[in-house]
Amino acid sequence: MVVQSQNPAAAGAHMKTASASGATGAPVLEVRHIEKVYGARANATHALRDVSFTVEQGDFIGIMGASGSGKSTLLNCISTIDSVTSGNVLVHGVDVTRLKAKKLTRFRREQLGFIFQDSNLLDTLTARENIALPLTISRVPAHDVLIRVEEVARRLGIAEVLEKYPYQLSGGQQQRVAAARALVTDPAIIMADEPTGALDSKNARLLLESLETMNERYRATVLMVTHDSFAASYTHRVLFIRDGRIFTELRRGDASRQAFFERIMEIVAMMGGEGSDAL
Amino acid sequence: MLCKIAWGNVRRAGRDYLVYLLTLTLAVTVFYAFNTISLQVDIAGVTKQNAGMGETLGGIISGLTVFLGFVMGFLMVYANNFIMKRRKKEFGLYQVLGMSRGQVARIMTLETFFVSGAALVLGLILGLALSQVMVFFTASLFKTQIADFHFFFSLGAFMMTVGCLVAIFLVTLVFNLRVVRRARIIDLMRASRQNETIKTRNPWISALVFVVGLAAIIVAYVRLLHDGLPYDGQPEAMNDFLITTVTVVAGTILFFFGLSGFLLKALQGVRGLYWRGLNMVTLRQLAAKVNTVSFSMAVIAMILFLAITSVTTGMSLADTMNNTVERGTPVDYTRCLVYWGPSVVDEMNAEADAQAAASAGAPSDAEAVAQRTQAARYAVADGPVDLMAASAGDTIDAGTPEAHSFDLDSITGDYVQVDGYDSIPRDGERPVVTLKDLCDKVGMDLPSGVDASSVDSLGLIVMTESNYNDYLRFRGMAPVELGEDGYTILSDMGATVNDIYNKVLGEGIELEIGGRTLHPAQDRVPEDASTFQNSMMGMNSGTIVLPDDLVASLDLAPYYSYLMVNYADDISTEEGDAYVQEERTFGDILNDAGESVAGWGVEATRTSTYESVDSMNGLISYLAIYIGFVLVVACAAILTIQQLSGVADAMGNYRILSELGTATNEIAHSVLVQQTIFFLFPLVVGIAHAIVALKGIIELVALFGGMSIGGTVGLTTLIFVVAYGGYFCVTYLMSRGMVHEAARARHAA
Repeated sequence: MVVQSQNPAAAGAHMKTASASGATGAPVLEVRHIEKVYGARANATHALRDVSFTVEQGDFIGIMGASGSGKSTLLNCISTIDSVTSGNVLVHGVDVTRLKAKKLTRFRREQLGFIFQDSNLLDTLTARENIALPLTISRVPAHDVLIRVEEVARRLGIAEVLEKYPYQLSGGQQQRVAAARALVTDPAIIMADEPTGALDSKNARLLLESLETMNERYRATVLMVTHDSFAASYTHRVLFIRDGRIFTELRRGDASRQAFFERIMEIVAMMGGEGSDAL
Repeated sequence: MLCKIAWGNVRRAGRDYLVYLLTLTLAVTVFYAFNTISLQVDIAGVTKQNAGMGETLGGIISGLTVFLGFVMGFLMVYANNFIMKRRKKEFGLYQVLGMSRGQVARIMTLETFFVSGAALVLGLILGLALSQVMVFFTASLFKTQIADFHFFFSLGAFMMTVGCLVAIFLVTLVFNLRVVRRARIIDLMRASRQNETIKTRNPWISALVFVVGLAAIIVAYVRLLHDGLPYDGQPEAMNDFLITTVTVVAGTILFFFGLSGFLLKALQGVRGLYWRGLNMVTLRQLAAKVNTVSFSMAVIAMILFLAITSVTTGMSLADTMNNTVERGTPVDYTRCLVYWGPSVVDEMNAEADAQAAASAGAPSDAEAVAQRTQAARYAVADGPVDLMAASAGDTIDAGTPEAHSFDLDSITGDYVQVDGYDSIPRDGERPVVTLKDLCDKVGMDLPSGVDASSVDSLGLIVMTESNYNDYLRFRGMAPVELGEDGYTILSDMGATVNDIYNKVLGEGIELEIGGRTLHPAQDRVPEDASTFQNSMMGMNSGTIVLPDDLVASLDLAPYYSYLMVNYADDISTEEGDAYVQEERTFGDILNDAGESVAGWGVEATRTSTYESVDSMNGLISYLAIYIGFVLVVACAAILTIQQLSGVADAMGNYRILSELGTATNEIAHSVLVQQTIFFLFPLVVGIAHAIVALKGIIELVALFGGMSIGGTVGLTTLIFVVAYGGYFCVTYLMSRGMVHEAARARHAA
């Protein structure tokens, strides 16, 4: 079976070769008819209803929706932080909804990188140690750890602050450290949950440009949840979620970021408009 | 309404309050159970043997309880502070919602009240149960039989316990109310965020501090091992000891202050180890916490040291007495007569003269007679007195119509009298032989604890060969043959002193006494044939046996006489004991001139010696266990509370780790390592301190008959393992639960 070569243990190494050869083919992520129901019968809440989509290698995808629309639930289900009620999530052809706890942990460690709204750095570690953490957890030799941390920090422009503690960094720097931590393992997908939510516009732009660079220059696959149209305009493709369903999908194509931004705004306005009609 | 909120809070903050409740409950249990001691000794039948025992023990225990109550009180304040710190935000919220400070304070009072009340009820139930079980323990400690076991409740212990708990409650309350009164809402609301700022210290400085601390501890150890403990209370020695103590305390504090920094630096040096798994997280968490808890770790190390030392010393003393009591009770009954020495005689006579001069005028004949019969004048005895005959001078039931003379002869089977002579000749200044002389001859140091100022005047007691052979025959042992120029030394004091004597005898050291050169007739001190009176511990610190004619030529004054009596065959031990223990007054010992030459000293039956050993043993073991247990529990509780609150503070970090794909048991392992360090280091330092201090203490105790640590370590260890290890397990299990909880929590939720 093809799946064998997608063994999560070899995934780190595999990813490098895959991106180096620029291989396309099997989608990085396949979401098939997932449902998520909270609570029991009487007061059951459908957070997700029959959501399906596919992400190819090197995609930069945005997921938009109002709060309560189910976009965070979707991200949690894909990242295996939450379990789905039904449906499948395949990463490189491996169904992660079927994985046992131990393998799940490993999958998360080796295939995913996370960036959260609050940077979620360990306050007791320096920036360098925070970035190194996913590598040391995976028992990468110390020598490689330090080299890779240096490299990713340089790419994100935080090489000078590596010895500082999170509380000594600005919000933007913290977020870039978090991004570096997500990138350092060369994950299959980078999951970003409202990464610009807590940043001012200048720092938000810096972070988004970093993600864009990572995507364009290093072919990293990024999945970003946001309610901010400006942030979404940096992506190639935006999925709009409403009431737990994919409402519509927008592809950027060759349009400029400005044009894409305006089209996103239109959809947002339309979704909001319909909402107000419903009232 | 407030009551409902408070009750809800207690249930919700259950985990925080659990440790608080656990420790308080344990305190109540122990307080109650130990304070029932006076009732327990009654039931265990100790009072039948030793009427005053219950009261003595009860008194000491209640005094100790007050002291330990203070310790517990501060512990509770400390525990409570941790809970309060975590809940500042909540109290801020109440005020934002419009509650007055008074109302918030009342909620807190009620919460404290609920928890204390629960602890009291739980603790009393457990204490009641424990005290019933402890009766059997008491009986075995005091080696008695339980005559009539019945359920008992001690009102006194109950009152004592409740009193202590109320005091603890009030103190805690005062501190809690202060938190609420003082705080502004903004501070309360921000409290959790403020906690996140982590102060870091330069690890290089920390490492340096650690090394300095370690050096100070080592210096203090060396000083203590070299100087020993200050036994004689000389200002110089005390001063030295004080410096050593200060050094070790400062060293301990610095040691813990720099510990995390040192570990961090040391491990960062080993790259492969530091950048591996969660090692750096573990170390950084340690470093972050050690800033706030280093001082309490140092205090805990010192308290553990005190607990270990007191328990071990106490139990060893008891052990020592147990081991020596058989050798120390060779006969059914002994009594002792002490002769007045020249200095006593001069002093007493001078006093009598002064009084006579003061009363002025010529005394009437009647007065003169009265003074004479009361032996107004003192003299040094010419020779030993016959104790059996002199005993008849005692009067039983004096002052009553039934008054009659103490007829010791009537119950006596065989007996022997042993006479010891002062080693300073009547017309001399210096003893014929001193301990210091012997030490110098074999090149050994004087045993620690010997008063340095009087070494030159402290001589060995002298005994004649024939008298000692009488004693040996009486004891059924082979006589010694000293010949013209032989000597031997007797002592039952155990290791330290006997080592010197044994070396003197073993090396055949020649002694120059009375112009004669003497050689040892034996090569070892006959420890089993050196005891002249019934006693818990060795009392004969050194007696030299010399040929009769040499003793006569030395012209020595008698120093003491011992009468050793075995009851006659038709007199049972009970009858004999009863007779000698009857209330009686001692007769005067007068010479022909009517001058007092001696006074009666200690008398003891074998039975009473055994009983007082058992009682003493019981007393010491009891106190040692009580103090040790409470102190250990207090330390363990502090550590537990610190660790749990530390884990709670780090929940966010553990959640992130879990999201990054760290296996939960790996996180739990990191927590385990941190907690092991926090629990282990104070213990290790405490034990190290204790070992060094105990070495000094052993030297001191050995002077009174040898001391073995062996058997007692078992019990001490058990107490430690149960209490300390129990708290450690509870801490880890609860922390692991919290880590699992953190791992389950979704980051979005």
